[in-house]
Amino acid sequence: MSGLTLSSTAERIYWLGRYLERSETMARLVIVHANLLIDMPKRLPLGWRPLVEITGSASEFAELYDEMNEKTVCRFLINDARSAGSLLNSLSWVRENARTVRGFMPLRAFEYFNELYLLGREKLTAPLSRSRRLQGLTEVVEHIQRIDGFMSANMLHDAHWNFLRIGQFIERADMTTRTIDVGTGTFWEGAIDLEPFADVQWRSVLRSLFALQSYNTTVGEPISQEPVIDFLLHDSRLPRSVDYGLMSVRNNLRSLPRHERPLRAINRIRRSVAQTDVRKLSAADLNLFLDECQIQISELHDEIRKTYFDFKPRRRPSKQRQKKPQKQPQKQPQKQSKPQAAAARRS
Amino acid sequence: MSIDWRRYRPEPFWDELITAKGRARTGAGNLCRVLSQLSDEELLEHRTAAELAIRSMGITFTVYTGKGSGSIDREWPFDLIPRLIMKREWDAVSEGLKQRVRALNMFIDDVYHDQKILQDEVLPREYIEKSKDFRAECVGISPPHGVWSHICGSDLVRDASGQMYVLEDNLRVPSGVSYMLENREVMKRVFPELFEEYFIHPVDDYPDQLSECLRSLSHLKSPTIAVLTPGIYNSAYFEHAYLANAMSAQLVQGSDLVVGRDDCVYMRTIEGLVRVDVIYRRIDDVFMDPEVFNADSMLGVAGLMRAWRAGKVALANAPGCGVADDKVIYTYVPDIIRYYLNEEPLLPNVPSYRCVEKEQRDYVLDNLDKLVVKPANESGGYGMLIGPNAAKKERDKFARQILANPRNYMAQPMLLLSTAPTLVDMHAEPRHLDLRPFILSGSSTFVTTGGLTRVALRKGSTVVNSSQGGGSKDTWVVDLE
Repeated sequence: MSGLTLSSTAERIYWLGRYLERSETMARLVIVHANLLIDMPKRLPLGWRPLVEITGSASEFAELYDEMNEKTVCRFLINDARSAGSLLNSLSWVRENARTVRGFMPLRAFEYFNELYLLGREKLTAPLSRSRRLQGLTEVVEHIQRIDGFMSANMLHDAHWNFLRIGQFIERADMTTRTIDVGTGTFWEGAIDLEPFADVQWRSVLRSLFALQSYNTTVGEPISQEPVIDFLLHDSRLPRSVDYGLMSVRNNLRSLPRHERPLRAINRIRRSVAQTDVRKLSAADLNLFLDECQIQISELHDEIRKTYFDFKPRRRPSKQRQKKPQKQPQKQPQKQSKPQAAAARRS
Repeated sequence: MSIDWRRYRPEPFWDELITAKGRARTGAGNLCRVLSQLSDEELLEHRTAAELAIRSMGITFTVYTGKGSGSIDREWPFDLIPRLIMKREWDAVSEGLKQRVRALNMFIDDVYHDQKILQDEVLPREYIEKSKDFRAECVGISPPHGVWSHICGSDLVRDASGQMYVLEDNLRVPSGVSYMLENREVMKRVFPELFEEYFIHPVDDYPDQLSECLRSLSHLKSPTIAVLTPGIYNSAYFEHAYLANAMSAQLVQGSDLVVGRDDCVYMRTIEGLVRVDVIYRRIDDVFMDPEVFNADSMLGVAGLMRAWRAGKVALANAPGCGVADDKVIYTYVPDIIRYYLNEEPLLPNVPSYRCVEKEQRDYVLDNLDKLVVKPANESGGYGMLIGPNAAKKERDKFARQILANPRNYMAQPMLLLSTAPTLVDMHAEPRHLDLRPFILSGSSTFVTTGGLTRVALRKGSTVVNSSQGGGSKDTWVVDLE
């Protein structure tokens, strides 16, 4: 092409990156959480609640189900077509976005995205036994990792690439703060005495971020809340740390035109993350801080959207403190009416 | 032995490669010889190689399945045996096409200006004014070079005597040219040895010629060109993407474009708004601008007509050019050529009957079982009656429709379309075909060398549309001198 990147193309690729990352993290969270619950006291009420809470979709869940248990939460997160954030819906967004921008990716790429969707649909439709669920989710994670490697190695590192990475890393930074949220166990507070299980919990958090091994080899402290959070927030060598995600977003933004405002938003978050000493925060303040991170990341998203995708001036989002921001869904892309598109043909 | 020409019987049809006596036509000898020397294994190898090439090159067309199940990409059906046209014949056809398109563009320009042809009563005024493709919004507009239909795809057929006719002119948004280009690519990959036998005129300059044509619509030295597509669900999306890519133009959808207060058209890019000078639009008039036409259109750009009328953007093809693409107007094209150019038509029309004229209508109604009846404004082979194959009930239905709305119908005798050898289970059988060349008009005129040959893969069928079981062949314009 002539070097120009359409806003709509950039937006599609950005969301492709976000949904790809979101799918992977969700799949891993379910795997690890199920595993964690095996080690927790059997009478733990609302064992699956944290997974609903971290996506910020508790009210959506309440509309769909009467009870919160393993079965309903897994349906909600994995394969319920009515749940906007379910893994299968995310994978279908991945495919739809990839279809629209296939011309800007290596030739085989779309086939991989298509296969990913088909894999999810084949392996993860209800009813899911525990072992089938584990198997299916693991395959999805592995397929996504292969795609990630293929794209890094083969896609032209142009503006389209930058938007893919920005999408992936914004999502990653956001998901990591939410994963830490789960680890703090606030959602179970008061239900039981969690103290004896703290290290089990943080071990599973590390595992869900592929960071257990890295932690053991680089952090000279036994696994407990403070050093783990510190590691996941600040360690710039860890590909899934919040800081690494934000730096990657920044580096990709730097290759793009008109990046001043989004860069300023990034610097704001990085400063506030760097200045926070988690060891000094009370449990309540820690949760406030994580919520604040998520709000700032959603503001960064807004800056990117306003700069590159959507030029029309919009009202500023209210500065009021919101409760935990819900996972952002892709703005319904201009609904392409299929009948119209098909009818628009001529001989 | 696989392809045995002695067993190939094209009669009663004219065959493009083989005469009624079973001999190769002039120029086809080498091709037929090479083909008959291939063993079954070799034929199969070549066919598999072609299928693989098509898959790996991603040559697809989209079939919209409706009912929420979305659409599927099908691989392009391709036949290995090329169709040959002698250069000398092609030069004459090509002159005929240029003449025809020149006259048609003059006609459209006249219809939207002085309407001299109506004043001179060459054509009844009501045919134009009642045409659903006449756009009052276009009256008085003067597009560059007086050209309205910049890209025209005319369908040519040959009858049993070998005479070539123009079956219809697709003046609005004709498609298929990318398949013409890809067919040649596939053929070169799969059958390089055949190319040693002939001097075959190349076809791959089309994207450059198209780009040249579109540039000539702007006074700028290097205008920004965009291809406007309805999107990925459109059956020709592959072609839209292909052409945009080959021309280094932007592929855009309506939502990518905005018309400013200055009446200029801009596309949204990550750099901000960038002005667009020429739009090759691949969506219909009625979807193009919700301000003017179909207000529900989600594919168009609000204000696009305003920008075009103000001369701030060139549209190819121009809105309103469908007025000459009406099958009833088609019956007047020979008169149109005589009227504007004062020349005799070089390429004949298929003889046609107008249902509006009583005498001809009566003939049509009496002979429905022998005729093909076509509605004035459909394309893609839809809404037709093929009399000899239709049940009486369907013919009666058409008779009622013709009486109710005679302006909407015309009829033609059932042509015995020519055939060409087509590979069926490792041997060759005759299958009917047509030819769609593309004619570009801007500051100058260009005709593709050959065009897209579409072939009806079902035995006895004459329906060549890819959505209805048609395939395609590479088309060779061959120079023997």
